[in-house]
Amino acid sequence: MKKKIVALVLSTVMTAALAGCGESASAPANTTANSDSNSVAAAQATGSEGGYSTDSITINIWDSNQQAGLQAIADDWTAKSGVKVNIEVIDWDNYWTLLEAGASGGEMPDVFWMHSNTAQMYMENDILLDLTDYIAADDAVKQENYYEGVWNLYSSNGKQYALPKDHDTIALLYNKAIFDKYNVEYPTDDWTWNDMYEAAKTITEASNGDVYGMAMNTSNNQDGWYNLVYDYGAKVITEDHKGTTIGSAEGKAGMEMVRQLLTVGAPQSVVAETGTDSLFISGKTAMITQGSWMINAFYTAENHADYAWAMLPYADTNNNGACDEGERYSAYNGLGWAANANVADPKACYDLISYFCSEEGQKKQAELGVTMGGLKGVSEAFSSAFEGMDVSAFVRAEEEGDLFFRPYTRKTTVWEDALQQQGGFLDAWQDPSDSALMATCCDNAQKIIEDAIAAE
Amino acid sequence: MAKIKMTPSQKRQAIWGWAFILPTMLGLIVLNYYPAINTVYQSLCKTGDFGKGNIFVGLNNYKAVLGSGEMWQSLWNTVKYAIIEVPLGIVIALVLAVLLQNKLAGKTIFRTLFFLPMVCAPAAVAMVWKWLYNQQFGLLNNIFHTNVAWISDPRIAWISVGIIGVWSIIGYNMVLFIGGLQEIPKDYYEAAQIDGASGIRQFFSITVPLLSPTTFFIVQTRIIGALTVFDLMFMVMDKTNLALNKTQSIVYLFYTYAFTNGNRGYGAAIVMVLVVFIMIVTFFLQKLEKKIVFYN
Repeated sequence: MKKKIVALVLSTVMTAALAGCGESASAPANTTANSDSNSVAAAQATGSEGGYSTDSITINIWDSNQQAGLQAIADDWTAKSGVKVNIEVIDWDNYWTLLEAGASGGEMPDVFWMHSNTAQMYMENDILLDLTDYIAADDAVKQENYYEGVWNLYSSNGKQYALPKDHDTIALLYNKAIFDKYNVEYPTDDWTWNDMYEAAKTITEASNGDVYGMAMNTSNNQDGWYNLVYDYGAKVITEDHKGTTIGSAEGKAGMEMVRQLLTVGAPQSVVAETGTDSLFISGKTAMITQGSWMINAFYTAENHADYAWAMLPYADTNNNGACDEGERYSAYNGLGWAANANVADPKACYDLISYFCSEEGQKKQAELGVTMGGLKGVSEAFSSAFEGMDVSAFVRAEEEGDLFFRPYTRKTTVWEDALQQQGGFLDAWQDPSDSALMATCCDNAQKIIEDAIAAE
Repeated sequence: MAKIKMTPSQKRQAIWGWAFILPTMLGLIVLNYYPAINTVYQSLCKTGDFGKGNIFVGLNNYKAVLGSGEMWQSLWNTVKYAIIEVPLGIVIALVLAVLLQNKLAGKTIFRTLFFLPMVCAPAAVAMVWKWLYNQQFGLLNNIFHTNVAWISDPRIAWISVGIIGVWSIIGYNMVLFIGGLQEIPKDYYEAAQIDGASGIRQFFSITVPLLSPTTFFIVQTRIIGALTVFDLMFMVMDKTNLALNKTQSIVYLFYTYAFTNGNRGYGAAIVMVLVVFIMIVTFFLQKLEKKIVFYN
């Protein structure tokens, strides 16, 4: 009898284990199945209104900070059109894996975000719905009203495949409480990168390494070290998207400044395990650089009253003590709203995209503090979206400083990932005390990027 | 053997036989054989985006893979992982199985507890361990008042990852051992007791040899399992982790090339290398089986 019970328990546990295996293996399939059944259920529940053949649209995005705001805008559209909108968030790394697998296998979301990293590849392979004709017939969307870099990013061979959803800039985030504690003056718009170095050094040394003056890791490229490379006069990717000058003397000077900052910041072994944002929010680091798309995460954090933003420091390359043209750069990038080329009801998808990018949608996006606009003229609304937190540094970055578009080529992730790892910049990041090593890494980076472009 | 003409009833049986295995056959062909053959084909191609426009390039991918230090490093990492996971997972599981075989209050509870890791999703297990190991806020460093970079120091990260593997697999191995133990006739132990053999002596002279078929089965399946490990490294190691090169398994490397970088042909060549490696290992294991395994 007892043996039977044991056997029973064991077999139950075994079955549970097997079920567990099955579950984890088929998880992606399940999610798609779910969204399918959702749309079917929705179709049965609402019936069709507004002349669309579909009753629900599935959207995939990668930033959970934006989900609530975008859903609010989408709900406004649902009220007009009667078509339901489901927004699903998939984290950045898996987003691209799933989207590419979906594009190869024919199971894609209806509407989704495009990014400079991969846009060219998706456009050339007819994965994205061609929006050109819809735009021509649409009064709400006029090319000249959008940020040029973002608009052009999503056009290929004279066709437009996505509409600008937003644009973003970079600023310096600091924790006032830590600056007060160690008696260091707050960052200002007149700071050079050397001033940042001195402040970080004071804090790291005064706290005996308990708090880091700053934190940056190799994956903070757009919001981190890319900006220094441009400040010092080099380019990660040249304007024709066919080369790089990161191995030049200017590139090395920029990365040398990065190296110095790292010597007084959080070590690589720390930031690789705990992201810079988590370090900042938990009060372990006094300064980080971040993009405007992340404001909400800090605005809603527990100690947000201590946080403040300043413009990114500049590089005084001509030593005249003032910030001249070309000495303060901020990366900018913009996402695009794109649709699946094989979607059942392209008109419904376009109308949703058009609503997101119309003045009404863009204004609401800014007012809700989701992101800055892809449409010009809504920055004001964005600045005032965060009551009690001054985020004007992001707007001033484009008014007073220079912008460069986030470096991209046809297969950006190939070299971008390689630069982050060993053989790229990681070696110097790991041991920032060695100035010669950083110079070698710049040479390696030059080769990595050139080889990757050659293989595209 | 000459072909014998089947009687009508034999024919019926044969037809039904085929009908019964048809679902499995279809599943195997669609889900296993077709992808396997396609992988071999892709490994000979420079693959295009989204599975379109493959160009046949012969053995170029293999030349690149075999000439890359990264691939050999990853293969070595995988072997190191197997060296930790397989022996430790088996020895600990065997000891536990023998202990839990004895009369012990609440042994079913212990069995269930040890089996629990097997019921959890591997990704969840890895996430929990990742935070236990965390240098800044991790429980391990807090309890022992140390400041060890468990998963980002290249010298120890591979051991840390191996320990997670051992922890996850013990329960499964243990259940198999318990099954094996129950098949050993009690007479041997009674006879040994009458002869005055100690518990330890009984363990080494009766349990270990009579359990060798089970042990061998576990060794073989676990070696293959360990060589194809992916989820642990994928969940625990961040891309910017400086120990990544020294811990990433060969399947992780395949994932990076095939899915992250979109270079399926190169990725396919990497897994083909792994397949050949596993075949060689299995071949030697089979040879070994004849020598050391005791079937009664």
